[in-house]
Amino acid sequence: MLAAYAGIVGLAVPWSLRRARWTYQAPGLAIGLWSGLLLSFTVTFALLLHHLAAPREPLHDGALRLLHSCTDADAVLYSGPGSDTAQALAPLVVSGWPLVCGAVALGLARFRRHSHAGLLDLVARPAPDLDAVVVDHATPAAYCLPGRAHRVVVTRGAVVELTAAELQAVLAHERAHIRGRHHLVAAMLRAFRVAFPGLPLARAAYEHATVLLEMAADDRARRGRDPRDLASAMCKIAAGRVPGAGLAAGKTAVVRRAERMLHPPQNPHPVTMAGAGLLILAAPLLPILFACGPR
Amino acid sequence: MKVKPLGSLEAEILDRLWTWRRPATVRELVDDLNLVRPVAYTTVKTVAEILARKGILHRVKRGRVWLYEAVLTREQHTATLMLNVLGTSRDRSAALAQFLRQSTADDVTAIKALLREHDAEAER
Repeated sequence: MLAAYAGIVGLAVPWSLRRARWTYQAPGLAIGLWSGLLLSFTVTFALLLHHLAAPREPLHDGALRLLHSCTDADAVLYSGPGSDTAQALAPLVVSGWPLVCGAVALGLARFRRHSHAGLLDLVARPAPDLDAVVVDHATPAAYCLPGRAHRVVVTRGAVVELTAAELQAVLAHERAHIRGRHHLVAAMLRAFRVAFPGLPLARAAYEHATVLLEMAADDRARRGRDPRDLASAMCKIAAGRVPGAGLAAGKTAVVRRAERMLHPPQNPHPVTMAGAGLLILAAPLLPILFACGPR
Repeated sequence: MKVKPLGSLEAEILDRLWTWRRPATVRELVDDLNLVRPVAYTTVKTVAEILARKGILHRVKRGRVWLYEAVLTREQHTATLMLNVLGTSRDRSAALAQFLRQSTADDVTAIKALLREHDAEAER
């Protein structure tokens, strides 16, 4: 039963959630749901491992032990004879593994940003009127370095080619990333992809959520502005790039984002919203219910 | 957006070396910096050493004095920096939240069509 649940969450759900149209209407909610599902999968996986380690012990004991080990890790670590500790340790390691990966991902991203900032500060000109720094480069581009010493960076190409309104919209988009701490979400999802390599859920969550984060920032940037500015800025920045190899089939993320700006999505059906919200809360607990429930 | 004073001195030193396009002594740098604001000789010397250790400046001895020069030109430095951002290496640019990652010529055509459609609807 638990294995089937793991299969559904790990394989089938990502397939359908990626295609669900409401996710583009409420990107924040969709990111929450992905996170809930990842947490749920981790709990399930830990319980399954525990079951394999101690097949005779009823599953709900495993669930209780897992709950117990979360609240009282020390007691489990230093209690009882060796075999018992090993049994208790397996789920603990599985639950802790994504956390370790998360810490590494965060540290690595911070290191990369820091070294980039060091080189950036040598050439970037502060532009106080834009609340950003400008790099003398012809290719139009905009990005931000999130984190404590955050800054928004635009190239001269972007300043020259975009209208004032378009530039402001792009800057608002970048500031939304910083204010929303989107880099932390991205690092967490990256961590799951590293922690469970090859798992469709982890891969889909990361790939889908990177697009959803952009859409969340787009929505924020649209407030109080003409959404057309953001869409035309996307067009100009895309046109300024050396076109990448044309691998993308169908609608790419950029086109979808532009479409959302020009045809603002309505809020998803309230039932969908409520269902997704409920699922976010329930997802991490479901595997424990399954384990304790009738078999 | 605060910039560390030492970091900004690094930028000021490099800016001069890039503008002069030749190696310079610490004394020359200090004299030019002092036209704008007071900076101690030892401070400039220290920062120049830091930049040399980072591999950004190159140090050569001519006679009894040390000359410093930038390893890369301003354009080369900018190009390297932006390669981090615009390059295709997804890992390297993942730490930077970019407005737009990859795009194709088809994307541009598609967005242009959307914009035209939008404008036509607005006129109606």
